[in-house]
Amino acid sequence: MSILKLDNLTYSYDGGKKNILNGINLEFEKGKIYAIIGKSGEGKTTTLSLLSGLTSPTKGHIYYDDKDLNKIDKYKYRSKMVGVIFQGYNLLPQLTAEENVILALDLAGKKIKHKKEVAKNALLSVELGGDKVRRRILKLSGGEQQRVAIARTLCYEPDIIFADEPTGNLDNDTGDGIMKIFSKLASEQNKCVIIVTHSDKVASFADKVITLKDGLAE
Amino acid sequence: MYIIKNAMRNISRSLGRNILIGIIAFVIAVSSTVAISIKQSAQTAEAEALKNLTITASIGIDRTKLQSEAGTDRTVFRELLSSVETLSLEDMQKYSASTEVKAFNYSLESSLSGSDSFEAYTETDTVVAATDDTKDINAPVKENLGGFSGIGQQGDFTVIGYNNTGGMSNFISGENKISDGTLFNFTNDNTCVISDTLAAYNDLAVGDTITVTNPNLDTENYILTISGIYTSTSTSDSSIEMKFSTAQDPANQIYTSYSTLSAITTASSTDATVSTNTDGVELTTALRSTISGVYSFANIEDYNDYKDNLTNMGLSDNYTLTSTDVTQYEASLAPINNLSNFANIFLILVLSIGGVILVVLNIFNIRERKYEVGVLTAIGMKKYKVATQFMTELFMVTFVSIIIGTMAGAFISVPTANYLLENQISAAQSTETQQAQNLGQVGSGGGLGIAPVSTESVNYLDNINASIDLSVTAQLMGIGVLLTIVSSLGAMIFIVRFEPLKILSNRN
Ligand SMILES: Nc1ncnc2c1ncn2[C@@H]1O[C@H](COP(=O)(O)OP(=O)(O)O)[C@@H](O)[C@H]1O
Ligand SMILES: [Mg+2]
Repeated sequence: MSILKLDNLTYSYDGGKKNILNGINLEFEKGKIYAIIGKSGEGKTTTLSLLSGLTSPTKGHIYYDDKDLNKIDKYKYRSKMVGVIFQGYNLLPQLTAEENVILALDLAGKKIKHKKEVAKNALLSVELGGDKVRRRILKLSGGEQQRVAIARTLCYEPDIIFADEPTGNLDNDTGDGIMKIFSKLASEQNKCVIIVTHSDKVASFADKVITLKDGLAE
Repeated sequence: MYIIKNAMRNISRSLGRNILIGIIAFVIAVSSTVAISIKQSAQTAEAEALKNLTITASIGIDRTKLQSEAGTDRTVFRELLSSVETLSLEDMQKYSASTEVKAFNYSLESSLSGSDSFEAYTETDTVVAATDDTKDINAPVKENLGGFSGIGQQGDFTVIGYNNTGGMSNFISGENKISDGTLFNFTNDNTCVISDTLAAYNDLAVGDTITVTNPNLDTENYILTISGIYTSTSTSDSSIEMKFSTAQDPANQIYTSYSTLSAITTASSTDATVSTNTDGVELTTALRSTISGVYSFANIEDYNDYKDNLTNMGLSDNYTLTSTDVTQYEASLAPINNLSNFANIFLILVLSIGGVILVVLNIFNIRERKYEVGVLTAIGMKKYKVATQFMTELFMVTFVSIIIGTMAGAFISVPTANYLLENQISAAQSTETQQAQNLGQVGSGGGLGIAPVSTESVNYLDNINASIDLSVTAQLMGIGVLLTIVSSLGAMIFIVRFEPLKILSNRN
């Protein structure tokens, strides 16, 4: 049974003048890693913003758990059901790694006592520990920031995790490390992981590869 | 809950920005506190002064009106002036029949001379000249001052007859006090009270009689019995007047009843001989006298209503109601009113300038925090919650600053208010002095022998009890809330209109 279903997903910018997606039909399941690949400018990020509810399709539908995304509270959807790892990480620089994670816990409305503990464990699961946990974001390396961004989505246990070019700014080894984390999330925690990338190497970690070309998915 | 936690953390993480907002809010609060407390205490002071004000007034010839009618021609003015008769007692009584008038008192004043056994008190030998036969030199000067008119001899004593204790302001105020015996009776029984100075000077005691004479006719004598002796605390700053005339020395004032003095002046005019001098001017030996009526009012509204009503009651517009109490009261408020107006303008300026600065600052801040808004909304924080958090930050900073500012303002408002008031008063006083100089009333000018006309110096309200009470605090809190809301409005609009999608296309 699919957790996310795209039905004739169509999107255009500038009031219909600039067609990006021309009717995509796809289904995503829990416990699997998907890679959406395509050249730069093909509309990968646009697809992600549609799937994460940051914008609405011009035509067609997205169903999360059989519910039309347009009919549910998108803030609740983003803060609880899905987690987005943005290309630029989008962490709050004035906060520490730990505080960024706790903020996500707060937003997800998690009524847990030891949020610090949970946040620390989430960071440990992406191999970030020690004093780095209490460092401000700007004092962490790109790879470390990437891991904080991942931990921020893991901590509240969403069904789906989206990642936009997760290895784009990282060296090969770090990139592989990150991909292993995603693999584990899918296989061990039954998450649906959807990664958007232009890299074939990243795609090699996926259970299923979807190519985006001329606004259509293959 | 986490919103407040985040707000507090954000304040401490971006101290620079918040200190700036805090300082501005602090300055606004201090200035507003001072301004509001000045305004408020000015009102209280005004109300307080008004409460303690006893208003007495009299109807007199409207010289200002006649003067403007006459233009620059002095003879026309004199003619106009002599064509308007002073109000008779009957008229004065007629106009007193009004609900606005709380009391009406009248008195008669005349100038009489002493006798061999009863001499006027003089302070220095040089004054003696005034008591001998050349004393008529005073007459023309006196006329200019609006006192006795026509040609006649000036006596050594001023005898005043009251109808009632109500008009005896010197005694009511406590300036004069009966120290021996009793007050005269209000019947025509020839009793009077004299000053202790005069009693000692003539070796007189209660029960003794004094003989006063008509200065125009030394064979016309009246005998009064001393019923009491009064002491006067009136500081004789009237040294100029004393040199000018012994009759104006407070020590030479004899108080009696209206009935007694009126009987004397009536008898004098009945027996008077009238002659015509070489210039064709009619001369009479009759005692000259002036009647004055004093209307008392319970409050300023009654006074103003009465003033407006007088013409309806049939009073010619050649007359007008004047009150030194009211003019003094109004003059005394000038500095405090100036201060209050100043405070008002200051308040408006501070609030508008401060408000604009805060608005601009907040708009700058929110642009800087665009990224933060984007991140928060992208990870699922509802816009209203983001707005609430930003508002909370702003309120916390503003409120803490306002509270500190209000306390500081309360602390400095009393000295500031009094300092500013002092400046206002000295400004008013220098104007007053300037006016006096313009009128030629320089210094003590004893040699000139001209008494100051009516520049009794004004007792300015010179102390403000500026204090911060609940209503001021409430007003300030209101201002604070309003300022915060207004200044953050731009930010709120920005947050509400923010598209979280932008966060994805923003690669930095
Ligand atoms: N906000 C926008 N307004 C108009 N055009 C946009 C906007 N965002 C992206 N585009 C355009 O849409 C196309 C797809 O962009 P994007 O989804 O970011 O591609 P990708 O992530 O595959 O590189 C590009 O041609 C880009 O210029
Ligand atoms: Mg992209």
